[in-house]
Amino acid sequence: MTTERLERFRLVSNGTLPEVLVTATPALEDPIKRDESRQNLPASAMPSVPMPGGEADLLRLAALQPGVQTGVDGLGGLHVRGGNADQNLILLDDVPVYNPNHALGLLSVFNPATINHARLWKGDFPARYGGRASSVLDVRTRDGHFRDYHADLSVGLFAASATLEGPLLYDTSSFLLSARTTYFGPWIDFLNKRDNLITFSGDKAAYRFYDINLKLNYIFSGKNRVYFSYYQGGDVFKNKFEQRFDDREGSATDQYDLDSDWGNAIAAIRWNHLLRKNLFVNSTLRFSRFYYQSRLTLLSTFLAASGKQNLLAYYGQFYQTLIQDWSGKSDFSYFPTDKLTIRWGLAYTLHTFQPGALSVNFLVPGQSPITSDSLSKVLLNNERLGADEAELYVDNEWQFWEKWHLEAGLNFSSFQIRNKGFLALQPRLRIRRSGTAGWRMWAGYHQTAQNLHQIGSFNISLPFELWVPTTAKVPPEIAWQCSAGVGLTRNGWNIQAEGYYKRLERVLTFLSSSTALFTGGAEDASGWEDRIVSGQGTGYGVEMVLEKSFRPATVSLTYTWSSATRQFDDLNSGRTFPFRFDRRHDLKIIFRQQFFRWLDANVVWSYATGNPITLSGVKFQHHTPNGDVERTVYVYTEVNGYRLPAYHRLDAALNVRFGQKKFRHLVQLGVYNAYNRANPFFLYIDSGSGANAKGIQYTLLPALPSFRYELRF
Amino acid sequence: MQKYAYILILANILASGLRCVRETDIQLPDEPAKIVALSHFTIGEPVRVEVSLSQTLTDAGDPEIPFNADVSISVDGKFLDKLFRVTGDGGRIYWESRDLVVPKTEYTLAVRIAGLEPVAAHSSAPEPVEIAEVRIDTAKMRVVDLADGRLALRVPLQIRIKNLPAEKRYFAFSLQHEIEIFEVINGQPVPDEYYEASTKFLADGRTLALVYDTPEKVVLVNENFWSDERDLLNLDALIPFDPAYEKPRRLFVDWRTLSDAFYRYHLSLARQGNNFPLNDPDALFNNIEGGYGNFSGYSVSGDTVGIPEF
Repeated sequence: MTTERLERFRLVSNGTLPEVLVTATPALEDPIKRDESRQNLPASAMPSVPMPGGEADLLRLAALQPGVQTGVDGLGGLHVRGGNADQNLILLDDVPVYNPNHALGLLSVFNPATINHARLWKGDFPARYGGRASSVLDVRTRDGHFRDYHADLSVGLFAASATLEGPLLYDTSSFLLSARTTYFGPWIDFLNKRDNLITFSGDKAAYRFYDINLKLNYIFSGKNRVYFSYYQGGDVFKNKFEQRFDDREGSATDQYDLDSDWGNAIAAIRWNHLLRKNLFVNSTLRFSRFYYQSRLTLLSTFLAASGKQNLLAYYGQFYQTLIQDWSGKSDFSYFPTDKLTIRWGLAYTLHTFQPGALSVNFLVPGQSPITSDSLSKVLLNNERLGADEAELYVDNEWQFWEKWHLEAGLNFSSFQIRNKGFLALQPRLRIRRSGTAGWRMWAGYHQTAQNLHQIGSFNISLPFELWVPTTAKVPPEIAWQCSAGVGLTRNGWNIQAEGYYKRLERVLTFLSSSTALFTGGAEDASGWEDRIVSGQGTGYGVEMVLEKSFRPATVSLTYTWSSATRQFDDLNSGRTFPFRFDRRHDLKIIFRQQFFRWLDANVVWSYATGNPITLSGVKFQHHTPNGDVERTVYVYTEVNGYRLPAYHRLDAALNVRFGQKKFRHLVQLGVYNAYNRANPFFLYIDSGSGANAKGIQYTLLPALPSFRYELRF
Repeated sequence: MQKYAYILILANILASGLRCVRETDIQLPDEPAKIVALSHFTIGEPVRVEVSLSQTLTDAGDPEIPFNADVSISVDGKFLDKLFRVTGDGGRIYWESRDLVVPKTEYTLAVRIAGLEPVAAHSSAPEPVEIAEVRIDTAKMRVVDLADGRLALRVPLQIRIKNLPAEKRYFAFSLQHEIEIFEVINGQPVPDEYYEASTKFLADGRTLALVYDTPEKVVLVNENFWSDERDLLNLDALIPFDPAYEKPRRLFVDWRTLSDAFYRYHLSLARQGNNFPLNDPDALFNNIEGGYGNFSGYSVSGDTVGIPEF
């Protein structure tokens, strides 16, 4: 040959061999394969790990990592090394996903049947991922089989899914189509009708979600390949209920009607082109959208004993928030030698934000003239913000000496909004040495500037928390992190320790305020920037991993000692306070036993210091001689100054695999929170219920059986 | 409101649907009863202090009023006045000074009750920052329908501040309107009487994001409102009236210049929200050493503007 050519050969079997049973020891890398700062989250581990309801879930698998915190029972988003949930870049086929949760975080939007692999960087992530202050979770879906048709059916306690894949053109084109939905609705309805438990009397509550994944692949030639990936998922929640208050003069009734829906839609078309045998480029067009909208009305009436009915109040609220991206990017990968990889690329994104169109109609007859019609008008008039973001990056991985590796990168970004630009240089540096006899050590530094922010003021991850852009009043979040670690793998042992120090030079929060009583309402929703304040955050800690394989059993222990704090001039009188997901100790022990080839068991025990909350110990009445309005004042002395009790629970799952080559079955039986630990979700002081006020602890998930059946053919 | 309802409902679905709401005796911070002193004083009036004792959260009764409280004020370390107990409207108990408040004087409040830790606080009433002008944009005045069949007059107001200070821009305000009630005699309206009422207002989103209601029936203005050197506050006053026998006549603007302690206490109070379990309240600003409450001064200025014919 006189020129470089690429030829694809397909190997065809020309003989028959007896079946060979290969038994691999998953040992040190299952259920979670660890590779220092980059954690591989293998899709194959998901079905085995015990999860609520038996629903395999990627984010819950990620939460088993050291340094990754979630709220109670997973309902709080991912918080990596003291960072906020929005500081994680979550990608599905290279497209950002802005709300990765269903059902307050009980499940994620990632349908396990579609996942090929996922990687989590807790720091030192490559420059090509741009500027997020905490972590990157990069999830890739499967391509679909190019030669055979396969189906996968899964039925659990909470959800069911069906997946179909196969060739469109034999060995040239493939598809993967998957759909998932939930049974929460019938559960809610059943419990409501049986025990009237859901909220109040007269409930009509309904919740459901769905996911649809589609992936198409086409191989044009050995040098050109295209895929199209699409995801759409949504949640719907509706509830009608009423409360009645009776006394001798009559009966007051409050009727609530809440109707909310939210969801993500993402799409990507990628062209993979081989320029030379050691140089290729991926060019991608991307779309991502997340929206949330809801309508809440409250009709308050009073039915007097005389039979006369009066309207006491009518409250209506429309709320809408949206973030939408159109973007294009090209990523080049060049392998000049087997010891050097250079990646570079550029990207452009057009962001559109609708940061919380809040429209309120508070009508007390004779006092406020706002009519219902004005609500939709306000929504239509709400400001939509456009922003242009451009990025250039270069990454390299270089084995510059026999046992020394260097990863260095630089990302340059420009964020333009309202004729104002924000430029940022974001360096990454990581050096690693692989020593003799299984030793290795590493150190890294990275700095990021984040221009997208999710603003919320609650302790759980909620879909209506706003995504807002950097503006002249809302500065970019700046973060840097140093980390260093050492590891040893020898004789079936894997021991690893890594320390980190993270500084959030600018971190944002949303100031809540009491409902306006004397004001009539807003004419527009332009005030969101003025409710945001900037502060600082610090996180540091040590993460340790200890793994040992005792064939056929494997034990994995991860422990994190950490601290995470925040400081805002406008909060807590300027004093530093613990971050809401600060946990000093976090321990997870995972035990896996392979009894037979067809039977294995997984047991996970988790322990963590209780989350900090803001709690008042005393109260007083505000009623100055000059004032007419009495108000109960709760003396919160320190933000997040009180610790909830420690969190711990035991989960177990038994996995049975059976079936022949064509039909393969998996049955998982398990229990979540096996010893029924009442882990507090929040504490509520019910001080208005007469002389005996109570402290009420809400616990979300008690001991729950889990079951899942999977059929693959 | 919507967020609260949303969270409550979803949490209840997860919690009560799975039968896991548990009432638990939780270990609250052990706080003994302390003296609570509340006083907002202003120039030309006596200092009035309401004294009570703090309660634990599980105490659902009325707060205890310590009738034997010894309440005094001093200036520059020198005793000025011992306040006497007064029973006001509705039977409310407070302590009142004989001396009247003068501007820019640092007062020290001391409250002593046998068996309790004494408390002290300091504050002064600042010089008032006056309103330069209250202007009505007559061209944009309009009458809108109310849901109950009455009308409301929408009055665009522009409140301009005179000599806005470079720092400590701590202000609060309230609006009131005067309605003339008339009788129709021989086809002609004849004024009969007048009444005053507090006035609601509409504003743009930015303004509403930076104002907060207070228990003092004034609206607190966040100092960030003035951050871009604006000295204007634009509002649309809403005056409901029955055209058959009522006519809006005047608007009163009560403009308060606040001390640091007044501003910070009410700002932290506004950020408490309700005692909702998932809310993130701010720590309460407290300038009562040894106890709780607030001792703070303010000054008052204001303006009145007649409502043009419409």
